[in-house]
Amino acid sequence: MPELDDATVAYVLETRRGFEDLRQAAAQLAGLLAMEASGARSEMPQHPLLAAAQELSRDAAESIRQARVTPRAQRHHDHLVHAAEEMRRALTAARRSLAIDPILRPLRAAYTELEGASRELPGFEMVAFGHGCCGLAGRKA
Amino acid sequence: MSRYSIWILEFANVPNYPLSGLVYGAHNQGTRRLPYCYVLIKGQGHVAMVDVGYNHKAYGAVLATTFGARDWHPPRTVLAECGVTPEEVSTVFLTHSHFDHMGNIEDFPNATFYIQERELSKWVWTMSLERRFRWMMLGIDPADILRTVDLARQGRLVSVPGDREDVLPGVDLHAAFDTHTFGSMYVRVRNDGAANSKDPWIFAGDLVYTQENLRGQDPQDPEYIPVGFASGSQLQLILTTDEMVKRVDGDIRRIIPVHDDTLKERFPSRITQDGLAIVELALADGEASRVG
Repeated sequence: MPELDDATVAYVLETRRGFEDLRQAAAQLAGLLAMEASGARSEMPQHPLLAAAQELSRDAAESIRQARVTPRAQRHHDHLVHAAEEMRRALTAARRSLAIDPILRPLRAAYTELEGASRELPGFEMVAFGHGCCGLAGRKA
Repeated sequence: MSRYSIWILEFANVPNYPLSGLVYGAHNQGTRRLPYCYVLIKGQGHVAMVDVGYNHKAYGAVLATTFGARDWHPPRTVLAECGVTPEEVSTVFLTHSHFDHMGNIEDFPNATFYIQERELSKWVWTMSLERRFRWMMLGIDPADILRTVDLARQGRLVSVPGDREDVLPGVDLHAAFDTHTFGSMYVRVRNDGAANSKDPWIFAGDLVYTQENLRGQDPQDPEYIPVGFASGSQLQLILTTDEMVKRVDGDIRRIIPVHDDTLKERFPSRITQDGLAIVELALADGEASRVG
């Protein structure tokens, strides 16, 4: 990936948190669906997962909206904006009911947008690779 | 007489992995080659796997460029070395929910997947925590959660509440809670079918990474040493290790750590044209060797 200009580096730093929060909100909502679909409820979380996802998603959308977008970051930003919008749709559907299909469609779309964003600029990973079976190998120079 | 043929199949590797990641406290002791593998179990009319590896489409580039993972090959290529297609796999046991063990679900369209219920529920619980707890989400891919929803809707996900015997004839699942992950499990194959098997194999997932976890670093004075990475407790890892050792009557050779690069030296094996190891643990009646 070519070197980034300073303004785009600043954009990366500014939006990374929003990206991670959207990723987390998507995971939370998907987790809720997984529990619902699988019947794995013996240790259902006591925490209000849906409320947590809504809060994260709302904060992320706001920080993404306020980001100072450079030409180099425009496509990345478009992905983030679309991801936030799809998450809003998914969460709206989830507030009505935990019926899977109406939630899953926008949720998948949000995830696809996040994947798209992760390919546009460095520093936006879909999986936190910091530990586990690969992360300890250490980053290559 | 073996009921099942069993192979350990490498699908990728990292050439230089710090030993401290594999063996707790082994700091500044150099690196090892770390193979990524899954297990193929075939016989009694079943084709089963323990774990399915990671999805190269999603992670391959990051893992290759950032961490030096290499030689990734798809299940279709890797399984073909044993004459099996992904479509023939009917059962998959997921030892835990890290992306490199369950990230390739989509490549097995006809399989039913078994995972510990606690792995799923605690996985979701960690996601509900504040951002400062995000360490517990490391290694977990949101896309895997979406895939899990699909599996459940298709009736292809079985969440198991603890131990379960004879999931397939002579194949048992054993829960290992709060060890490498919240709801890890290991798989025991009693390959003679007997309740008190004289031919047991244990597939340990990431409960052990190497022989050192089972016998320590001094063969003359064995000890258990936990793996270098766990979100559960070292105590539970050690107790589980002891439980596994007892289930193979003390023969630690029969506890298979799939990330152990020495498997190919300790069992019949060969290296494929792609540079990947195939290790043959057992052959059922009528099955041709894939390493001969």
